[in-house]
Amino acid sequence: MAEERDSRVAREGRRRIGDPFVRGVARLPANVRTKLLIAFVGTALLLVAVGLLGQRVLGQSNDRVASVGPLQERAVQYSRLQAEAEHLRGVLSANVAKEFSIGWKDSALPQIRGTYSLAVDLFAVDAADRIGARTAPDRLLFTPPLKDQKILDGIKNTAEKLSTLLLEEVIPVYGDRTTISNEDRDLREEMLPLRADAEQLATDLHQRAADLADGTRAEVEELIARNASSFASSRALFIGVAAGAIVLALLLGFVLSWSVIGPIQNIDTRLAAIASGDFSGRVEVQNRDELGALGANVNRMNDELRRLYNELEEASQHKSEFLANMSHELRTPLNAIIGFSQVLRDEMVGSVNEKQAEYLDDIISSGNHLLSLINDVLDLSKVEAGQVELEVHPFSLREALERGVVMVRERATEDGVRVAFVADPEVDVVAGDERRIKQVIFNLLSNAVKFTPAGGEVDVSATRANGEVRVSVADTGPGIAPEDRERIFEEFQQSETGVGLREGTGLGLALSKRYVELHGGRIWVESELGRGSTFTFALPARSSTS
Amino acid sequence: MTGERILVVEDNEKNMKLFRDVLVATGYRTLEATTGGEAVDMASEHTPDLVLMDIQLPDLDGVEALRRLRADERTATIPVLALTAQAMRGDRERFLAEGFDGYVSKPVNVRELIGIVRQHCEGRLG
Repeated sequence: MAEERDSRVAREGRRRIGDPFVRGVARLPANVRTKLLIAFVGTALLLVAVGLLGQRVLGQSNDRVASVGPLQERAVQYSRLQAEAEHLRGVLSANVAKEFSIGWKDSALPQIRGTYSLAVDLFAVDAADRIGARTAPDRLLFTPPLKDQKILDGIKNTAEKLSTLLLEEVIPVYGDRTTISNEDRDLREEMLPLRADAEQLATDLHQRAADLADGTRAEVEELIARNASSFASSRALFIGVAAGAIVLALLLGFVLSWSVIGPIQNIDTRLAAIASGDFSGRVEVQNRDELGALGANVNRMNDELRRLYNELEEASQHKSEFLANMSHELRTPLNAIIGFSQVLRDEMVGSVNEKQAEYLDDIISSGNHLLSLINDVLDLSKVEAGQVELEVHPFSLREALERGVVMVRERATEDGVRVAFVADPEVDVVAGDERRIKQVIFNLLSNAVKFTPAGGEVDVSATRANGEVRVSVADTGPGIAPEDRERIFEEFQQSETGVGLREGTGLGLALSKRYVELHGGRIWVESELGRGSTFTFALPARSSTS
Repeated sequence: MTGERILVVEDNEKNMKLFRDVLVATGYRTLEATTGGEAVDMASEHTPDLVLMDIQLPDLDGVEALRRLRADERTATIPVLALTAQAMRGDRERFLAEGFDGYVSKPVNVRELIGIVRQHCEGRLG
């Protein structure tokens, strides 16, 4: 027993969650509803936080993508500017003899090699003006940042200077000519420094435009690279936070559910033990919530049940002792009453006359009646107190019936009553308390013989059907009135005819009913007034009630 | 009638009178004790042929008295019958297991009692 208890304690111990978090949550002085609410709100807040973070990451990414667009637009514009500046420089260079001759070396027009052309220079003026105009914000279609603006201003100035130089100094050199050929040496002499200046300006212009375009392109590339890396880190942050939130939510759920389930399991184990009659343990619930209260109540219930159980056991013990004492105290004077009567009746101390002998017989039979009453009352008290434990063993019901028949046959024959016994071949061994079943059989048989008038008969039969064994005792006695058929199974309740007969304790059928029912069986009577009665009891074929 | 001596241990005066008269009328001689202690003393002093032992007694109960009789070699072989009003279910088996040679419940049937006494006295002689 103790060992069993130890193992149970160990089992309960294993179920107790050792996790300090779980214990911590369990000990929180808040009710389960609040804890659940906090857990749900916590989980929801985590979700909201993850959502907000996601939105922010997405927004930043969007902003970065949006900022790339205008920058690219600027880069395109600046590239055009650069292309035009390059073109301008090319045009001007082409109009310088040396370069012109190189540039046109393979030309199909060798005759114009080394010739300055007014048309080309006018074209260059046009190009310079266009470049200047192109730096204006309304042409750019955006407002350039300050650092760009400075360069753009420089470009514009340079373009204007170039334009002015060409218009006011280079083109007047042409006079009314459209070209200046290699032969016009004077004019060329005059033109040369001017052209060098113009070319310098064009180169400068190109350089500025190139700086601007390159710088912006680099900016675009850098921005894209920065976007890529910040997207990667945002994504990592988002994933990290989301994973953390999931883990946190799971942990929250785990801790909370174990802080609830653990105590419930402990309480359940204790209740199962209580249900099986073990009041020795206590349930340990550390929760300071409804479950803690439940655990405390289970403990109180356990203690109260144990107290009541002990009281009951004590009361039952007292009752047993009382019954034993009563039996002893009643039997002691009865011993003298019956004993002395027998001494007198057997004429051991002198002869008695007929009348005296009759009275002595009456004393003896009344004494014996009192004795059987004592026995029956004790038996019944034990049944009522639940102290009867059936000693269930397989025994031969057929033999028990045969013996019962033999026991009553002597008296039956004296009274002129025939007793017949028929049993199905299948009726033999049943499981039950042999002594008590025999008591039932004897009670029914002696009742039947007692109530059957001379010339009548008692038929005993045993059958087996529907998983039960039935024993019927039919007599040809006076029968039992319908209103008495239930009553006769109660204590001290006899039928009208039974009261007429002075025999019987009035407890036999009550006891028989208790014993049959303890076996999980039933007992009943069928009767017809003036014809006779049939008492039947049925036992489960496998009557193992223990 | 061989006149065996039977020690009757009985604390109830009327029952003692009954047993004494029945046994004497049947031809036995009786010794009488009303307590367990007295019974043990008398048995070792007189070594009766049979002891009829009540169980519920003022000092030593019948079971304890039986143990003492058995422990003393002078009285160890004397047959002892339990003669008791303790007649609840299982009592017979209990007393036989304690070592009594027989069990008679009260109220006794006088003829049965005589029969049992006779049986034990003859058994002892034979």
